Amino acid sequence: MGQLLVNGIVAGLLLALPALALSLTFSVLRFANYAIGSYLTCGAYLVYVGNVVLGMPLWLAAGAGAILFAGIAVAIDWLAFRPLRDRSSVTLLVASMGVAIALENVIRLFAGNAPRAYDVPVARPIRLGDIRLNHEQLTILITVTAALAVVWIVFRFTRLGRMMRAVADNPDLAAVRGIARARVVASVWMISGVLVSLSGVLIGLDANVEPQMGWTYLLPVFTAAILGGIASPMAAVAGALTLGVAEELATLVMPVHYRTIVSFLLMATLLLLRPWGLFGKRWVTK
Amino acid sequence: MTVYLISTLTVVAIAALAGLALNLQWGLGGLVNFGLFGFYMLGAYIAGLLTVQGVPPLLALLVAMIGVAALSAASALISVRLSEDYLAIVTLGFAECLRLVISYEAWLTKGMLGVAGIARPLQDLWPRGFADTGFLGLSLLAVFIVYVLLQGVARSPFGRLVRATRDDPGVVEALGKSVLSVRVRVFAVGGAILGLAGSLHAFYYTYIDPTQFGPIITAYAFMAVVVGGRGSNRGVLIAAFTLIFLLEGSRFLIDLVPGLGASELAAIRLFLVGTGLVVLLIFKPDGFGREPRSALADRTSRL
Repeated sequence: MGQLLVNGIVAGLLLALPALALSLTFSVLRFANYAIGSYLTCGAYLVYVGNVVLGMPLWLAAGAGAILFAGIAVAIDWLAFRPLRDRSSVTLLVASMGVAIALENVIRLFAGNAPRAYDVPVARPIRLGDIRLNHEQLTILITVTAALAVVWIVFRFTRLGRMMRAVADNPDLAAVRGIARARVVASVWMISGVLVSLSGVLIGLDANVEPQMGWTYLLPVFTAAILGGIASPMAAVAGALTLGVAEELATLVMPVHYRTIVSFLLMATLLLLRPWGLFGKRWVTK
Repeated sequence: MTVYLISTLTVVAIAALAGLALNLQWGLGGLVNFGLFGFYMLGAYIAGLLTVQGVPPLLALLVAMIGVAALSAASALISVRLSEDYLAIVTLGFAECLRLVISYEAWLTKGMLGVAGIARPLQDLWPRGFADTGFLGLSLLAVFIVYVLLQGVARSPFGRLVRATRDDPGVVEALGKSVLSVRVRVFAVGGAILGLAGSLHAFYYTYIDPTQFGPIITAYAFMAVVVGGRGSNRGVLIAAFTLIFLLEGSRFLIDLVPGLGASELAAIRLFLVGTGLVVLLIFKPDGFGREPRSALADRTSRL
């Protein structure tokens, strides 16, 4: 039982960063980014190139990859999403699906379909009483907590964080008060680019790096964000942890390959009963 | 060469049906269905499994259409209280779950082994050696019937109501019409067409397994609608029979270009579809077709 809880929390932490990134872009841009799954894959592959092809240690490759991908995320926004910003949200949804398909297939073209693994030493799991903790799980725990702390500090205590919250609250009022929306949007994409590619690395450590990895995480990430109330970034983290534990506990009664179904059922029930999220405020209803 | 042309045309006809279904749901109704491939897959499996059990193919086709229509309507119901954005993720989740269930419930669906030996409808009608040509004729007939029906829907009062819910659900609600019922009906009709397309897929290949169904089916349908112009059935048909024909026809390049494998070609094709979608949405958002509108609507509204 304790083991299940630990596994669930780690699974939830894996979801936390992309879910945070998703609801961050949603709260500032009012746009649900369906390309987030392929962003994750793309980040994981960039780090793979640094780690295995160029032979960097993983932490260095992850840092370089995350920064590089932050740039790519801003570039994608400039090329694909910015020209569509004034159109309906549905147009943006479809455009983000187009971006997702294009990105994923660039990866398939260059890297092929075979699963790959990072170059890390194999280590014995740590035992704490009855509970076993892999080194990968420990890495996930530390990295995600640190990343969340940084984002929280940026969000709460810096000028940039105040600007982001202002634009999320009321873009017109923020513009009147002299906040440059373009700068805020660019920094939001950079933050979410870093978060998503970090989570790509962690998922690649936990399982494999393969072109399909982002696609399989798309539904759980959306569910986690909706659980938290999609427009409140920090609540998405709580949503991710809830979902991770729920999925892990569900393996007691369901086969493991049906995890996605757990996540879908949770989302469907939530959308029917509490569409503003478990922790969110009541505003999304239409 | 003729064999090749016939097989490509059949695949294109089936893709055109999926495009027409999406055009009703998204083009006319404004409801994004990212899970299109799941409903299509469900249609293929219902038709395939029933036919293998000895049910006459045409009856199996009918059951598939009704079944998919019912499940589509149910998935639209989940997002009762929400805006269209949520429908996209709900349909996607629904499709993923369908694919998982079909892949793992081997007692029902034969799992990853796939269903083999599916009989085609009206197979005895064609002379020997013309089975594929006959089936192509049948698929084209299906496309034609669906096209005529959808044109009818688009011009009918119900079509106007659907367009109105797309453009401003608030106004429709204020006029005393139920937006929810419109959405559910649009999804049901679209689902029936997707069931038809999926069944034809199963009949054509006579063998289905879960790997045949993926987001590429959704991608083609979106491409057809975006190129053809949202709401224009004729545009969707033209887009399908030119663009998807070209994309599907590019398979012969494998023999001509050295070093190009099937998976690379598939990746290039999908990359083109993805970027094409974004480029078109930016530079030609209305596509190349035109939605049928009344003269009054033409004068008063410029979107």
